Amino acid sequence: MALSPVVTTTSSAQNQNTENFQTLRAVSSPLKALASGSGQTSSNGTPKPALAPAPTGQTLAPTLDLAEQMNEEEKRKYVKGKKLGEGTYAVVFLGHLRSSPATRVAIKKIKVQKEYTEGMAPDAVRELKHLQELQHPNIISLLSVFSSKDQNLNLVLEYLPLGDLEMLIRDTDNVRYGAADIKAWMGMLTRAVWFCHENFVLHRDIKPNNLLIAADGEVKLADFGLARSFADPHRHMTSNVITRWYRPPELLFGARYYSGAVDVWSVGTVFAELILRAPYMPGNNELDQIKMICESIGTPTEDNWPGVTRLPEYTVPGQHPTRGRDWYEMRFGIVGTDGVDLLMKTLSLNPQKRITAREMLQHRWWHSEPKPTRKDDLPRKDESAGEDKMGMDLKRRPGMVADEDRGAKVARKLDFGQR
Amino acid sequence: MATEDERYRQSSQFRLWSFSPTSLRELRNKTNDLAKQQIAPRFAADAQPEFLTPGEESTLVQFFTTELIRAAQFCELPTEIRSTAAVFFRRFYITNSVMTYPPTELLKTSLFFGCKAEGYYIRLAKLAEMFPNTTSEQILAGEFLLCQGIRFAFDVRHPFRALEGAILELRKRLPEEEGRIAKAHAMARDILKFSPLLTDAYFHYTPSQIMMASLLMVDKELVEILIPAGSRTGEDGDKHMGSNAEMREKIIRTIESCRSMMEKEPPQRMKEYWETPELVKSLKPLRKKLQKCRDTDRADLVALQRARREQATTKVKKPTGTVQSDGAVFGEAMDARDVKRRKLEGANDLFGPPL
Repeated sequence: MALSPVVTTTSSAQNQNTENFQTLRAVSSPLKALASGSGQTSSNGTPKPALAPAPTGQTLAPTLDLAEQMNEEEKRKYVKGKKLGEGTYAVVFLGHLRSSPATRVAIKKIKVQKEYTEGMAPDAVRELKHLQELQHPNIISLLSVFSSKDQNLNLVLEYLPLGDLEMLIRDTDNVRYGAADIKAWMGMLTRAVWFCHENFVLHRDIKPNNLLIAADGEVKLADFGLARSFADPHRHMTSNVITRWYRPPELLFGARYYSGAVDVWSVGTVFAELILRAPYMPGNNELDQIKMICESIGTPTEDNWPGVTRLPEYTVPGQHPTRGRDWYEMRFGIVGTDGVDLLMKTLSLNPQKRITAREMLQHRWWHSEPKPTRKDDLPRKDESAGEDKMGMDLKRRPGMVADEDRGAKVARKLDFGQR
Repeated sequence: MATEDERYRQSSQFRLWSFSPTSLRELRNKTNDLAKQQIAPRFAADAQPEFLTPGEESTLVQFFTTELIRAAQFCELPTEIRSTAAVFFRRFYITNSVMTYPPTELLKTSLFFGCKAEGYYIRLAKLAEMFPNTTSEQILAGEFLLCQGIRFAFDVRHPFRALEGAILELRKRLPEEEGRIAKAHAMARDILKFSPLLTDAYFHYTPSQIMMASLLMVDKELVEILIPAGSRTGEDGDKHMGSNAEMREKIIRTIESCRSMMEKEPPQRMKEYWETPELVKSLKPLRKKLQKCRDTDRADLVALQRARREQATTKVKKPTGTVQSDGAVFGEAMDARDVKRRKLEGANDLFGPPL
């Protein structure tokens, strides 16, 4: 980011923000706004001040601060419905807009975590921080945030009723899809990742069950519980991120300085999984993961990746040659030569040679035949299955492989106690 | 998503935390009004305290911002985190009054949460040790309150990266003037670490405008180089030139106004004003006034937090059908004043007392 263009929007800023608060200012007494409700008390459970009879004959004291009023307003916009799922990290409810019951939302209520005694959970902080900033058709929208009486955080997210990509990949009996569908899904995923990187955000947990599907077939990247902003140069990051099967070799080798290339690797593994209809490299543990990478792609060496042997946890089980184009063509040929080329570039061992999200979007595969399927025509599961799946997906702790619900320690250990 | 401008307009800093001077003033007045209305009933009619004016509140927030900066320096927190914490603190007191929630406490909470929001995980207990008479519980007590007060917007856009970009650009354009640029760089950075945090700059201007204003304060010519007058000849000739000149004028006007705001609090003011014994002494009457008019019910954040937690627990219990009197539920843990308040609250509950 060289010289950023100077933004000159002070006047429109003024307009917008006047609007933001107009509703509040229009309300002469904060009590009036609440009187129409059903006697809700302070949203975050502020003990009400004693409503002692006002000695001077003035009206009752208002019970809410401005901040509380704002929170109350947000909360009142939504109606919480049935529970879609509950996990250790969050409870997910179906909900709808009070003003328009047909507009459904998902309300993700973050649980107070007993094991984490230092206040608001870092996963929730990260998720909120980034979702507040990222608005894109292929990223799940955060519609609102409010606190409920027990001081739990409630994230109001757009409702994505059609499940996730994992469901489609796994249901080989009922769901059939081809190269054009894969291209459409990959296009949406790549745009989402590009947008994150363009905004200096690393997602760090890209995998099929974090790719939710909207009613119109649009794929949306969700779960920003492990996300972070790009670090300034020389500031290190934790290598203990990204669910194992989708984790790139540099992180498995303990790199503390890395880039958007880590997400691109994950995109590559999702691409391969879409084609194979099974996880490409499902390692049982980190060593096994490295072994699978060596066998499926090639052993990282000083030749194909200068400097790799100096990474803190560099160990390789044996020497395997880097796989050639023919090898990929045999396994992934259904996406065509251009598709195979793109896949190979996303799975480059050396992160510096790996294609970037921006370059991915410029790849010729998008223009070659077949054209990507229109999103309304994409294969889909029915809604009842999808509903449960959204509940499952949103309640999960970040960094988990679906079948290792409790054991994994990825998110757990993230960055804590380093200082 | 075309331009950086458009991208900035999507940020929470712009959407939720940028104001015109008028609307910011109105918000502060409203916050002050509400606090007065809430606190007044706590005092007898003939013993009403003198309340702080919005102006006095601002002065106190400014003073405690300098305290926050000093504390962050003492804890050796990186610049960005220090600035994030200061911005959180100032945002909080837009919609909350210093009379309602004690700034001495929120200051520590802002530092702790600033670290968390920036992904810098400092141990809570370690931070508590840095402050006299402070427990982890005290720091944590205000966390949720703070988060709500800052409208759950945890991403703060600072001018520091913009400055690095501008300096790189200047080095390229003026290879002969390394010394001059290095000096401007250091001075501008000092300004950015202080002046925008002590003023309302973050509420009115974008990071790049703040950065340009800081350069304007140290070396005006460098800004002329970065935003040259009419140098770019557009393909479509005069018309393009015209709008460019107009745009430039608008940019310069904005940066100038940001500069005059920041010039009221140049970094020297920290030592020459805010840290002087005279200033500390002169603020004494104001702090005394605050002591007298503050919301005694909410001054103790730890007790308040406990009460809230218990209130939540009781709420969960309700549907099980056990009828408990408020006293039975709250009795032990609370002091007499709280019990009294709860009872009163029960009496005013729109749903009435338990059947």
